[in-house]
Order: sequence, then C-alpha cells, then structure tokens
Amino acid sequence: MFYRRAGIRHTSYRSERRLWRLPFDRGLVVAVLIVLLILPLVVDRLYLVGYLLPWVIWSTAALGLNFLMGGAGQVHLGYGAIIAIGAYASAHAARFGVPFEIAMVAGGLASAVVGSAFGATALRVKGLYLAMATLAMQSIVDFVIIHVPAISGGGQATLRVPPARFLGIDLTEDVRSYYFVLLVGIVVTLFVLNVGRSSFGRALAAVREKDYAAAVIGVDSFRFKLLAFWVSSFIGGIVGALLAFCYYRAISPDQFHLDLSIQLVAMVIVGGLGSILGSFFGAALILFAPILLNQAVGALAVSSGLGISADLRAHLPLLLYGAMIMGFLLIEPLGLAKIYDNIRNYLLVWPFRHAPR
Amino acid sequence: MKRRTFLTAAGAAFVGLQIPIRNALADDKVIRFAMPQDFTRVYTFVTVEYSQGQRDYISLVNAKGGINGYQIVADISDHGNDLPRALEAYERAKAQGAILVDPLSTPVARALVQRAAADKINLITAYSGRSDAADGETFPYVFPLSPNYWTQAGLLIDYFRQQDGDLKGKKICFVHIDTPFGKEPIPILEALAAKQGFSLQTFPYTPPGNDQSAIWPQVRRAKPDWVVFWGAAVGQTVALTEAIRNGIPMNRVASSVWLSESDMDVVGRAQATGVLKVEPCASGQSPKIIQDIIKTVIEPAKGAGDRAKVGTAYYNYGVMMAALMIEGVRKAFEKAPNGPISGDWLNAGLNAISNFDAEGLIPPTTVTNTDHQGGGQCRIARWDGSKFVPATDWFSANQDVVWGEIKKSSAEYKASGK
Repeated sequence: MFYRRAGIRHTSYRSERRLWRLPFDRGLVVAVLIVLLILPLVVDRLYLVGYLLPWVIWSTAALGLNFLMGGAGQVHLGYGAIIAIGAYASAHAARFGVPFEIAMVAGGLASAVVGSAFGATALRVKGLYLAMATLAMQSIVDFVIIHVPAISGGGQATLRVPPARFLGIDLTEDVRSYYFVLLVGIVVTLFVLNVGRSSFGRALAAVREKDYAAAVIGVDSFRFKLLAFWVSSFIGGIVGALLAFCYYRAISPDQFHLDLSIQLVAMVIVGGLGSILGSFFGAALILFAPILLNQAVGALAVSSGLGISADLRAHLPLLLYGAMIMGFLLIEPLGLAKIYDNIRNYLLVWPFRHAPR
Repeated sequence: MKRRTFLTAAGAAFVGLQIPIRNALADDKVIRFAMPQDFTRVYTFVTVEYSQGQRDYISLVNAKGGINGYQIVADISDHGNDLPRALEAYERAKAQGAILVDPLSTPVARALVQRAAADKINLITAYSGRSDAADGETFPYVFPLSPNYWTQAGLLIDYFRQQDGDLKGKKICFVHIDTPFGKEPIPILEALAAKQGFSLQTFPYTPPGNDQSAIWPQVRRAKPDWVVFWGAAVGQTVALTEAIRNGIPMNRVASSVWLSESDMDVVGRAQATGVLKVEPCASGQSPKIIQDIIKTVIEPAKGAGDRAKVGTAYYNYGVMMAALMIEGVRKAFEKAPNGPISGDWLNAGLNAISNFDAEGLIPPTTVTNTDHQGGGQCRIARWDGSKFVPATDWFSANQDVVWGEIKKSSAEYKASGK
C-alpha cells in the first residue's frame, strides 16, 4: 500500500542512485518540508521559539556528531566544546565588523581547526580512550573560555552578539531566524546524505568497521579519521554560530558545558547511530520529552487535586524520562530511526508478512 | 496493529497537551507570575525552600482577598537549568499572559535579559543573573531586587573594618569557586584593598568544589585576619568543613548569602558556631510576616511544602522576593488602578517601591528607575550553633565602589551587541 515499489524500474544509473528511490519517500520528504515551511506562519510564537527553532538547530548538531560517531565510528564527548568554539569565534568576528556570512564560516573553520588538532592527537588512541581524550578537550576549552575574559566577554561572562544580516536579510526576528536555520539544516542534511554514497563516505564506513582492514585495502585510516573530525567539527562550528546568532543572541560559557555534549551523544544514540533520520528523531526526543513530561505531570497534579509536592512534581518527569529512554533502547537498540524503518519495512510488503524472494 | 494503536494514542496525547495553553487568558481578575525554576539540576540547594516561601506568601495574599480583588497565580515549573527548556518555559509564560518571570538561575537570567526587554516582561533575578542589572537605566525590565554579589562583598569588608577599627596591614583571604560567579567579587575586593590598605590573597578551587583539601592548608599558612569563602551548594559546606579542619577560627570566616541551616547540618551545627554570613532578610519564624503565614496558610494545611522548612534562610528569601513582587503590584494599582495589567504596568509599580520593609522581614527597600538593587542593605549574621543571629543592624556600605563597577559593566553591555 504505502511505499509502493510495484512498477518502479530504474533504467539508468542516475535513477538507481537517487537519494530517495521510491516516489512515496520523495513525496514524504517534500510533504515534511512543506509542513516545516508553513508551520511558523500558522503556529504561535511559543511553538516556533520553544520547539521548532531549537529542534532544527539541535538536529543539525546531532547530524554533525553522528557523521563522526556513526559515520566514522569515532566517539566524541566534547562536541559541546566544538560548538562553543564556533559560537565564540563567529561572535567575536561579527563584533569586529566581519559580515555574518563570513563570520559564520569563520566559526566553522575555527572549530574545524581546533577540533582536528585535538582529533590528530586523540587519534593515536581508540574507543574508550578516545572518549576520555575528547572529554579532556571539553574541559580544556571550557577552562580557556572561562579564564580568558577577552573570549568570555568580561566579568559577567556574557557576550552579546551583534544583530545578524544574511545576504541583506535581517535575522533578529524569530521567523526569519527559523527559516535561515532550516536552510542551513537542509544543506547539512543533503551534504551528509550525499557523503554516504561517495568514496569518502565508503572510506569512512571501512574505517568505522575496522581500521586495520581498511588500511589493508588501501584506505589511509588516519587521514580519513582526521577528515571526519574536520568535517564534523566544521558542522559543529556552524551550529555554534546558529546558536549564537539565531537562538541565544547572548552567549555564556555555561551554555556549552559537558551537559550539551552528553545531550548530543544521547541524541545520536537514541536516534540511531549512523542514521540521518535518527538525528532528527533523537533531537526531538531528548529536547522535548522532559518538557512535555513536565507539563503532563504538572497538569495531572493540578487536575487530580492531589497534593503532589514540588520536589516530586519536578523529579517524577525525570524518572519517566529515564524509563522512556531505556524503554526505547530496549524495544529497538538501533534507535528511533530503526523503529521507523521497521514500520516502513512492514508497510513495504503489506499486506504480506515479508517480501517474496 | 498494537504498534499503530500505540502511535495514534501517543500522537493524540501530544496534541491534547498542546491545546489548553491559552485558556488562562480568559480568566479575569488574575495576575500571572511565572516561576520556572531549577528543581532538579544545579540550584537544587535553594530552589525547593525558596519556591515554598514564595508560594506560601502568595497563598497568604490570596487568602486575604488578593490585591484589589485580583488573585495572584504563581505558575511553578522546572527548567532544570537547561536553556532550551527555560526559553520554552519563558515563551509559554508569555503566551499565557504572565507579566513577571522569576527563573532563579544565572545562566537562564543571562539568556533572558534581551528577550525580556524586547517583550516588556519583568525579569526577577534575585541573587542571580547579571550584577550590573542593578542599573535600571540600562536594564529597565530586569529586577535583582536584592543585594548583588559586589554589594555583599563590600558589606563583609565593611563589617571587618567595623570589628578591627582599621584594616590597614591586615590580610584577607578570598577562597572562591573558579567560575565567573566565584570571581565576580574580586574587582570590588581589589578596589577596597587599595583603598583601605589591606592585602588580599585569592584562592580559586575547581568547580564544583567537592575537593578543596589542597587549598585550605595554604589559607592556614597565609595566616589571614579574615577569610571569605565564595561558592554555592556543595562547595560551601566543603569549604567550611576544610576551614574547621585547618583550625581557622570560625568567628573570622564569612560568606555571602549562600549559607543556610541545612548547610550547617552537613558541616556540624556545633562545629560551625561563629561563622558569618550576609543576611538580606531576617531568618527564623519570628518576623510578623512569617507568623501570618503560619497562622493563615500553614496551620490550615495549605502550605506548599514541609512545615519544618518554614522560617529557614532560603524560605525567607522566597518570602522576601514574593513580598517585593506583590508590593510592586500594589504600587502599580496605586499608579494605575484600572490597569491594563501588563508588563509595563507592573514595571511602573516595581520602580515605585519605596521604603518597604515587609513588616520587619527585610531592610527598608526603595527601588527607583535607576536603582533596581533596592538600596543594597543587608546585615551580617552569626551562626550560634542553632540559628543565625544578627551581628549588626541593617546597613549599607561601599556603595560608591559597587556602583562604579555596576556602571562600568553596564556601559560595556550597552556598547556590545550593536
């Protein structure tokens, strides 16, 4: 029924290698895109600023981290620091009068340089040791930002970013910010999708599966690991600029602590390691489940008239949230994207149980 | 099929949650305050008691018929010190018609400063947020309404001066958490050291401060005349424990407003006897306003939390802030009895608070368009083994140095972001 495959013949390599080969998938992507484009015009500002904007930004960040963790198999516990470097570099560049378009790219480049410098030193180690090395990077970057007032913005440690204009369009207003963020998100998504079918993407996959084996077949694993760090850090830096200019508009070190890194790793794992769709699902779940659970418990506390103490009312959503994440990972260890994939696979052959061979 | 039913149900629940948002607007005779605070992450050491005090005071006001027939609705939620959540809570509060937001978190307050100014919503940043927000000209919609950290440091130094007669040649050690918050008082301390001729030694410890054992022997060796320790939550109790372990006399040790009875339980009530703190409002159950709360709210079992917490330092901070907010509402009604109720309307009221002492709970506080700190009066209190007893009367000191720093910092803020 859905995801109809009958009658679809690929008669050229071009059509065989499209990003979405089924017309239904293409239709779905277009439909989601149209919804995302129309939503800010119809929903309340609350949903725009409270949900849509952070969702797109965090999804883009998750894409960047997923590129490294899922694509190249390198654990990174310091992605928050990468984002911080991008945010601070772009904010300072813009304060110097550099146009936003260039400041944003400068933020990305700064993150890419620092990120791959740490990557190069960290890449002598693997697995858990790499996790520790990137964790150290997080601490070092935090420390430097806090202890250099020229970076953090003086005694109050808050740096206001100048109003941004992108190609002459003022981005200080939330709807325009959202469209700009969405544009960047789409570009990053398309990039990551396309890398998957390029030689670069296949080399990363080889490195991810086993770096010795990759070296044996002629893939320079060190070079590709470093490239993965570079690309992923660049995306992180761009996200930092988006956070600074389109969402927070004033940045302080506590926005980029380890909490952010852990949050992003959680998004990638809950969404689905190596899955592009999963980055979007993961970001939505990790960002909004606490908010919605809080509201649900709050509404329940009010409507039931039970005297639930403030303490319990605040902690109950956390318990539920933890249970929810465990539940999702128990149902499907490969993440939310795999749950979607299961549904899709089911519908692909519906009403049959499985595809005939 | 089960999976699809589950998904449909989840979708329906999600949509259902989103609908009731604007209902509250329909209620008339209601003034909404939003209090999204951190009950679960960083500010847990204060939030529960602070929020309990706020809600109990608001219940008291409502039980007496509200203000001008208007009931105060306090919307409590948890933002977990997480900025996306806090921004969502702020936008929700705004959509529901709140005219005041009290996030009780420095990162959140910093992130909300510009939004609150643009939306004309009054942002309360008691004991948190930007210290330079005391400058009402630069931050018209931000109200600390409480002595900032610069004032607190200035008051402590003045108390030391009162005790010793003269600080010339004395040595003061400042032990602080190594974060922007911990380093904040240093410019004031340095300025006062130059002015009054004492020597200042600073000792940073790494956050969160659960291990300070390397720092305190150095403090002991420095043989200080006075020690000021500056942190929050676990850092405070660890600092005090280490000070005791290193034999530093407790009556020469002082801290900011972040010291409470429950910290003393951790350190040991008897061992900590003599330690000094800055008290922005009276603690204990004796102030008349707390007695009123006990009679009208707690005894009919309408209290917001554990009865044992009524009258603790942080509970009273909450009562203090709620009292100031509601005094602002009262003044706003005096200025414009017919409203309309809006952020602007409350702003005028908050700026008109004059000589308000909450029936003896707080020092006489006057808020003006230029001074959102409220005069910067406090008293120094000493732990006597079971409670904090005032060691001085309400006083204010070194405000010239403090305001110099406020003006400098707010000018920097003004210059940035263009």
